[in-house]
Amino acid sequence: MDLAVFIQTCLNAVYASSYLALVAVGLVLIFGVMRVVNFAHGELYMAGAYALFWVFHQTGLPFFLGVAVAIAAVGALGLVMERALFRPMRNNPLGGLICSIGALLILQAGAVALFGVRKKSFAGPYNEAVSLFGVESLTISGQRLAVIAFAVALLGALWVFLKKSRFGWALRAVAQDPDAAALQGISIGRISMLAMALGAGLAGAAGALTATIVPTGPYMGHSVIIGAFIVIIVGGVGSLEGAVVASILYAFVSTFVTTIWDGVVADIAGLLLMLAVLVARPQGLFGRPERA
Amino acid sequence: MSFASMNRRNFLGATALAGAATVAGPHRARADDTVKIGFLAPLTGDVAAWGLPGLYGCEIWAEQKNAMGGVEIGGATYNVEIVSYDNEYLPDKARTGAQKLIAEDGVSFIEMLGGDTMPAVTPIANRAEMLVSTLLPSDLSPDTPFLVAPAEVHPIYNLTGVWWMAENMPDAKTAVICAQDDAIGRPSVATYLAAFEAHGVEVKDTIFFDISTTDFAPVMTAMLAHKPDILCLDTAYAEFVNELCKQAFVQGYGGQIVSCTADFYADIIANTSEEFMDGVIFQFPDFDDPALNDPRINFDDPNGFFQTYNERYPGQWGAVSWEYASILDLWLDGARKAGSIEPAAVLEGMKQGGKGAHAFGEADWWGEELFGIDNALVGDWPVVQIQNGKAVIVEFKNIPEWWSEHGGTMIEHFEEMGEMWYQRA
Amino acid sequence: MSGGGAVTYTVWAVLIALPLLAAWLTLDPGLGGARRRIWWAVLAAAGAAALIAAPRVATFSQQELLVFLAINALVVASYRLLALTGEFSLGHVVMMGVGAYATALFSKRLGVPVPVSMLLAAGVTGLVAFILAFPLFRMKGFYFLIGSFAAGEAIRLTWKRFQDPFGGPKGVSRIPGFPDMEVGPFELLFWEPVTYYYLALAVAAASIWVLWRIERSHIGLVFHAVHWQDQLAGAVGVNTWRARATALVVASAFAGLAGALLAHYLTTVNPNRFDVDEMVYVLIWVIVGGTATIWGPIVGLIALTAINEVVLRDAGVDELRPMFYGAVLILAMLFLPEGLETLPRRVAGWLGRGRPAG
Repeated sequence: MDLAVFIQTCLNAVYASSYLALVAVGLVLIFGVMRVVNFAHGELYMAGAYALFWVFHQTGLPFFLGVAVAIAAVGALGLVMERALFRPMRNNPLGGLICSIGALLILQAGAVALFGVRKKSFAGPYNEAVSLFGVESLTISGQRLAVIAFAVALLGALWVFLKKSRFGWALRAVAQDPDAAALQGISIGRISMLAMALGAGLAGAAGALTATIVPTGPYMGHSVIIGAFIVIIVGGVGSLEGAVVASILYAFVSTFVTTIWDGVVADIAGLLLMLAVLVARPQGLFGRPERA
Repeated sequence: MSFASMNRRNFLGATALAGAATVAGPHRARADDTVKIGFLAPLTGDVAAWGLPGLYGCEIWAEQKNAMGGVEIGGATYNVEIVSYDNEYLPDKARTGAQKLIAEDGVSFIEMLGGDTMPAVTPIANRAEMLVSTLLPSDLSPDTPFLVAPAEVHPIYNLTGVWWMAENMPDAKTAVICAQDDAIGRPSVATYLAAFEAHGVEVKDTIFFDISTTDFAPVMTAMLAHKPDILCLDTAYAEFVNELCKQAFVQGYGGQIVSCTADFYADIIANTSEEFMDGVIFQFPDFDDPALNDPRINFDDPNGFFQTYNERYPGQWGAVSWEYASILDLWLDGARKAGSIEPAAVLEGMKQGGKGAHAFGEADWWGEELFGIDNALVGDWPVVQIQNGKAVIVEFKNIPEWWSEHGGTMIEHFEEMGEMWYQRA
Repeated sequence: MSGGGAVTYTVWAVLIALPLLAAWLTLDPGLGGARRRIWWAVLAAAGAAALIAAPRVATFSQQELLVFLAINALVVASYRLLALTGEFSLGHVVMMGVGAYATALFSKRLGVPVPVSMLLAAGVTGLVAFILAFPLFRMKGFYFLIGSFAAGEAIRLTWKRFQDPFGGPKGVSRIPGFPDMEVGPFELLFWEPVTYYYLALAVAAASIWVLWRIERSHIGLVFHAVHWQDQLAGAVGVNTWRARATALVVASAFAGLAGALLAHYLTTVNPNRFDVDEMVYVLIWVIVGGTATIWGPIVGLIALTAINEVVLRDAGVDELRPMFYGAVLILAMLFLPEGLETLPRRVAGWLGRGRPAG
């Protein structure tokens, strides 16, 4: 691997970690607060991608409006899922999981009915290649740079919100210990809705941002959900910082292994990485040991 | 109104129409009877893109035939009914579906995608002596006497693109291949390796990627590291081709590209540039191509079919859209020659004189050397090039002619990839 | 209608009703010992009659469904054994695949006679599970769920990646079928769905009986103890790791046997057939059915298969079928969160409440 290939691979990995982090942080939020394994999280990502396809590509409105619509629409979808599915299942984690699978099937079939089974490939507004550091062989598409910038901005905003606002404080309190939080007068229901809306909105944002880069199809959620689960395990369930760091770690391992060997080996490597973390440090790199 | 809801309405309309045709059929038409044709392919799940658009094509085909009063076979007139069964690309569901179509629905012919689902269906089809078609000739073996691969003998026809490049672009001397790692990609790699070798092009590397890959930047980076004259995208799903082209464009590639397919090439051009995509070689013409109006083409009104399809299912057109339908044309031709809709008789009719009415002209039943059975239909295949943003058939090349000279090379590479029929696990 | 109409719907209704009644009998303590035994005897006789008669009245495609139902009954019943210890795995279908691949390779490559090969395959699957127990039982709950997925998926991708001997993405085909036999005046041809159904049914019934005996034995009590009082069980000297590992090995061996049954029927195996989508279906059957009794997962399996493969296919919804199926799952969880197995008790409750009030 010569230097140019090495740097190009690093760029690819940075891009991969950025959208993965958006998905994984949302998943961590939902799991941390609601203790529900949301299998449909990949389909929320897919819904965001189709929202952008519709607003930006079909209706011809500006790209940023498409991203905003995707965040709002998928966030709202998350709210509906919280009220209709996860809240009645609050003390039944497996029931919540089955409900999320039901939602997954409905969302996939809905996408087929609305948009057809063939995947959509369409161009974003920043399609031209950008040379980095003035080196001609070292290029990245503007679209990918935009995803990276957006992801950093959104995650930064989320971080500020969680650390500075009262809602954010309450949300973290619930994630740490729901019973203690309830005793302090925090409404678990409202915080669950907030977590679900935020988590879904982030997945929608990731879908919208990458819709012009990866093919948008009814089953696209499949590919991100596995990576996102690996990331939240490696990072530590319940740790937002861990999810971000693990996204970067996983994306680098996966991208380099794909470049050097192939994609299947990369998948196996990712899974073994997760298993190793689970065995050696079950709470993940950044998680606190769970109380039994 | 939005595109999405238009599409939805069309979809509902089409469903209602298909229903109405079935109900109204016996009263309206002169047809004496109905011939049922089974469509056993994935309609849901992530392989559905290889089945569902083909079902749409078959339904349009049947509708057009029924609108003309049905099809005449052996002095009787039949309405055509397509009976679909979603096999979800799983062997157990495919076996169940085959039983239903054969024993309960009484179909006269079954169209399948093949692949993973075929080995479970073969024993059923053999016992029932049911004629079955596949889009994947690698399903053929001496154990499959009732299975034909009549639309595209994938991946053999890919050699025509390489052949044409060798004649028209003699300066391109090195190539790199990337391929999706599955039953579609692997035999195609063997074909490209053989074709490049036969025409003196050095292949620097072959890179396989998993079909769950979404980020193609690393794949392209690895390919371009070899600085090839020719970038060969092998046979890959449409969106993969699109992503690979995007990546090649972004990473500054400027050489020749050859691919089996370039579905939605207009989108690829939008993603890259007209200049970048100019000259790309692939194997699937648009059906509004004037070259297809030649009388030797055995596809009824290709331009009209293309138009109806696109009106009804905008954005869904691809190779499978016409391939399943073109197999119906071949079936009809075989049934007419046999004067019967009995599967065994139709098979005989199809293969009369060792020739068959392929969509791209009369072709030979062939395949003994590669598949152990002469149940693949090969003849002319078009080489298609993107010129000024439009796919154009530049030449029809004759596959048997190439084979008589370079067949041995092809067999060597098939053997090396473990893709010969006797090597398959 | 293509499904064969009222007759087959009746068959399905009976097949769902019988395990439901069995679940009710298991759960409901309100019946006296003698009456209860009579009920059991009646149910057992009716069940045996229905299971033996079912393929005779079913249509051809539903005979196929019955074969897969018998195989899957073994999958869900074995899955429940592990669930007894409180752990839900996402690797069970891959274990089934281990059995399927093992028997495929033994019988095809090494020429091992099929019945022997199937038993060997079950043993190999148990062995693989034993090895996996070391890393996996350092985890619990959600971590075990994800860890078992990772381990299973790594195995599955290995089949996909290595052409030799696993056949890569296409898997292994032309696996020898179960050998035909002559038993007295009968010629048993195992390619026929009805014959194979009886074979699969016999294997599944015997296996489920073994599983049921295990649950009722001392080991079964330990499983329950590990589930509900993990630390306490450890404190009183129960080796919780060994209990969990035993459950995993036994459950996996039976899943491997089910996989072997599948492999010799279809004569083909491929990695796709054992992916996480298939695993999700097993999980759905088990959870929607309920895990309190051994009948719950079986009710879930039969009821949801009937809906997905018979009712929705007859309805002709084609590509929208998953949408309806998803809605059914959600409704089932919302209205019967403890599983379909609690339905008879609920119905009895409604009737009981309805009478004095009305």
